[in-house]
Amino acid sequence: MKAFTDLEKKEYHNIWVVAEVLSGEIQTVTYELLGVARTLANLKKSEVWVVVMGYNLEEKLKSFFEYGADVVILVDNPVLFGFIDELEAKTIKRLITKYKPEVVICGATSRGRALIPRVAVMTYSGLTADCTGLSIDSENGDLLQTRPAFGGNIMATIRSSHHRPQMATIRPRVMRLPSPDFGRTGRIVKEKVYFGDTKKIKRIISIFHDTETAVNLADAQIIISGGRGMKGPKGFNLLKKFAEKVGGAAVGASRAAVDAGWISYAHQIGQTGQTVQTKVYIACGISGQIQHLVGMQSCDLIIAIDQNPNTPMMQIADIAVVGDVFEIIPEIIKEITTL
Amino acid sequence: MKIVICLKQVPATNDTKIDPETKRIIREGVKAILNPFDTYAVEEAIQLRDKFGGEVIALSMGPPKAEEILKEALALGVDRAILLSDRAFGGSDTWATSYALAKAIKKISDVDLVICGKQAIDGDTAQVGPGIAAHLGWSQATYVMAIEEVSSFFIRVKRMHEDGYDICEMPFPVVITVVKDINIPRVPTLKGRLASLKKEIPIWKPKDIKVDKSKIGLDGSPTRVVKIEPPKPRHINTKKIEGSAPECARSLLRELRLRNII
Amino acid sequence: MLHHIRNRTYLVEVLPPKQDSENLEADLEKFSHRYLRVINSGYCVCITDNTMGHLSFQGSEIIEEFELPVLPEQVMIHLNTFHRKDDLDNILNTCKYKGIKYLLVVTGDGSIRLPKLRPVDLDFADADSITSVELLKYLNSEYAGIFVTGVAFNPYEPEEHEFEKMDRKIKAGAKFIITQPLLGRNKVIDKLLKKYPEIPVFVEAWMSKNLTLLSEAIGYELPERKDFDPIANLKMLHKLYPGCGVYLSLLKFKTQYDLLKDTWI
Repeated sequence: MKAFTDLEKKEYHNIWVVAEVLSGEIQTVTYELLGVARTLANLKKSEVWVVVMGYNLEEKLKSFFEYGADVVILVDNPVLFGFIDELEAKTIKRLITKYKPEVVICGATSRGRALIPRVAVMTYSGLTADCTGLSIDSENGDLLQTRPAFGGNIMATIRSSHHRPQMATIRPRVMRLPSPDFGRTGRIVKEKVYFGDTKKIKRIISIFHDTETAVNLADAQIIISGGRGMKGPKGFNLLKKFAEKVGGAAVGASRAAVDAGWISYAHQIGQTGQTVQTKVYIACGISGQIQHLVGMQSCDLIIAIDQNPNTPMMQIADIAVVGDVFEIIPEIIKEITTL
Repeated sequence: MKIVICLKQVPATNDTKIDPETKRIIREGVKAILNPFDTYAVEEAIQLRDKFGGEVIALSMGPPKAEEILKEALALGVDRAILLSDRAFGGSDTWATSYALAKAIKKISDVDLVICGKQAIDGDTAQVGPGIAAHLGWSQATYVMAIEEVSSFFIRVKRMHEDGYDICEMPFPVVITVVKDINIPRVPTLKGRLASLKKEIPIWKPKDIKVDKSKIGLDGSPTRVVKIEPPKPRHINTKKIEGSAPECARSLLRELRLRNII
Repeated sequence: MLHHIRNRTYLVEVLPPKQDSENLEADLEKFSHRYLRVINSGYCVCITDNTMGHLSFQGSEIIEEFELPVLPEQVMIHLNTFHRKDDLDNILNTCKYKGIKYLLVVTGDGSIRLPKLRPVDLDFADADSITSVELLKYLNSEYAGIFVTGVAFNPYEPEEHEFEKMDRKIKAGAKFIITQPLLGRNKVIDKLLKKYPEIPVFVEAWMSKNLTLLSEAIGYELPERKDFDPIANLKMLHKLYPGCGVYLSLLKFKTQYDLLKDTWI
C-alpha cells in the first residue's frame, strides 16, 4: 500500500478511545485512556472521541464526558453483549473509514488485544501494543509510542508516520486515572453494527463470570509478593498468613516462584503476568529481574525484604529490610497480632 | 484436519541487554529458543491430530537459524515444517509478518485450523495471531484455554477473559491463539530428536507465496522503531532497615504506621 | 546400598546431553563412552535429570536407544518432579524393563520448558505441590518392590527444616542418602549420621575447581578458595567419613578419572 501523503494525513483528526465494556459495565481502563487521550488532543488542538460497543449502555455514557470525552459514538445492539471479534472489528473499520480519526487507542485487555490487531490489518494501520507512554512529536505531529520490549529489558519508541490512523493499546493501570469533571458534557452519535456475511459469524454459547477464583491483584491496596527466596509452597503459606494479618492484602509472585509450581499463575506479576499499581508492594525474597520490575515498579511504596542487600529489588525499594524472610515475617505477624 | 502452527524463534529474554554505546540490542551469545508460548500451540496441534487424524505443519518466518525451532517441532512430532526466510522479509512488523504468514498458509492450502501461542516473549504484542486471521478473513479466537468440541463444520472453544471466560463456536477455517492453561507441553524425546535431524525443511521465498512485495519487510511495515533505550531507573532514596528479626519487624511496622498503611 | 560402601564403589555422576546441543551425535557418543568407562571400572554411573532446569535427554532413553549395558548394581538414575505424568511413567517403565534398580528421587529445578508434576497426577489432592516426598510415596506404592529409592540431603539449608523433611522422606521409603558437596567436616552431616545410623549415606565430593559454580548449585555462598584441590578434598572426605560412600560430581574424565583408583584406601 502507498504511504499517505501529507495532504491525505491532514484528513485525519481527533483521538479515539475504544471503550472496554464487560458484561454491560464500563471498565476503569477506559477512563485511564481518556486521561491520556485528553492530553494528546489538547496538544493537537483536536477532540477526544469514545467508541462504545455493547448492549443497553445508553444510560452509562455520562461518565465518558466527565473523564474528558467530547464525543461518544454509541453502537448499541444485543448482539454485542458477548465479544464477537469479527463483528466489532468490521464495525470499527467502518467508523474509521467514515470519521477518519488520527489516533485510536484501546485497552490492552484480552478483548482489546484480540480486536485492535484485526482492525489494524483491515485498515493498514500501524499498531503498537502495550504502550507505557504516548506523546506527540513536536516537529511533525506524529504519535510517539513508547513500550517495553524483550521482556522489559528495552524501551522502544515507535511511530507510524505514513499511515493513518495511528493505533496503540495500553495496559490497564499503566496510565493515571484522571479526576472527573462532573459538570462536563458532550455529543452522542449513534451508529449501527456492520454485519456483512452473517453465515460465517462466531456464536457465543455461554459467558461465565469467575471473579471468585480470580486473584484480584488489581483491586488490592497492598500486595505481598514472593519469589525464589520463599523456597517453596510453605513460604507462600507464610505470605498468605501475612496478607491475612495485614488485611485487604493480596499475594503475588515472581515468575520463578510460579514456574517452580509453588503458587498458581494467576498470582504472577511482571511482563508475562499482571501489571499492578498498588499503594504498597512488599517483595519478599524477590531478586527483582527486570521482567518482574516492569510489572510493579509504578506502585507507590515498594518494600523489599531480602537477606542480600544488593539485589535489584533492594536497590529500587523505598524501604529495604535486610534479613531472613523466614525470621522477619513471623515477627511481623506476631507484632500485628499483639497490637 | 489440516493444522498449521505458527512458531517464532526468540532470544531467551533473561539475557537480552542493550549495548550502552551503540544502543543496539546485543544478540551475540544470546541463546535462541522456541517461543515458550508456542510450545502450547505445538502440543495442542499434536493432540488434535492424534485424536482426529490429519496433518500438522509448523510454519515460521525468520533468519535461516530459525530452522532450529522447526527441527524442535519435528522432534516433538509435527509432520512437516516450512521456513519463510529471505532478506526481503527482514524488518517486518506485526502487520507485514501476519501478511506473509497468511500468504504462506494460503499456499499450504486447505488449512482448517491455525494455532499460535498467545504472544511471543520478545515482542509481547499478541498481534500476529489476530493479524493472520484478518489477512485471511477467517474467524478468530484468542486466549483459548480449552478446545471444547470439534466437528466437521465448527470448533467450539473456551476463551479466557479478565472477568472469567466464555465459550464460543466458529465455522472452519479458524485461527486460534492459546494460553498455558490449555495443556502441558511435552518435551522432545531422543528418538524424535534423532529422527528430526534427518528431515529436510523447505525454505520459501517471497515469490513462492505470491506476496505483494510492497507489503513485506520494512517497506511493508506501517510502524518504525525510532529509538531503543534501557528502561529508566526508578528514582528513589532507599531507606535501609537492618538488625535482628524482631527489630526489623518493629522498624518496618513503625514505617507502615507512619504512612497510615496499618 | 551398603555394599557400595563396603566394596568402595564410587558413585560417578554423568550428565546426559542437553536438548539444545549443537552437536548431538558427538555428545551422545561422549556420554556413552563415559558411561561404559564407569561401568567397566566397576563403579556406579549416576545419570542426572535436567540439572538446574537445563532441558536434557533422559538417561533411560539413551540407555534404551544405544542399548547400553545395565548392570543393576552399577546404574543409578536421578528422578525429579518436573515431568508430565505420562513421561514419568515412561521413564519408570523403561527403567523397570532395562533392570535399572537405583533411583535418586529429588524435587529438582524447574524452568519455563519443564512441566511440573501436579498433585492430581499422583493422586495427592491435598498437597500444595509435588515434592520428592510425594514422588517417593508414589514410586513405593505404584512400583512397589521394583526400585531402591534414595534422597538428597542439603546441610546448607536451615537445619530443622531439612531434618524434618528427611524424616518424611525416610517414612516415604528412602533407603539411602546423598548429601550436597562437602568441603570438609560438616556438623550437620555428623548429626545426620548419628540420627540415621542404619541408612547408607554418600557424601558428595565436588570435583571441579570452580567453587562459585558450587555456590550457585546449592544456593548458599561458600567462601572463595583459589587453591581448591578436588582430589585432596576427596581424600580428606574419605578420612573424615570412613563409614560413608562417595558421590563424585563434575568429575573430569580426562585428568581426574585415573587418579581415583588410589584415593579410596
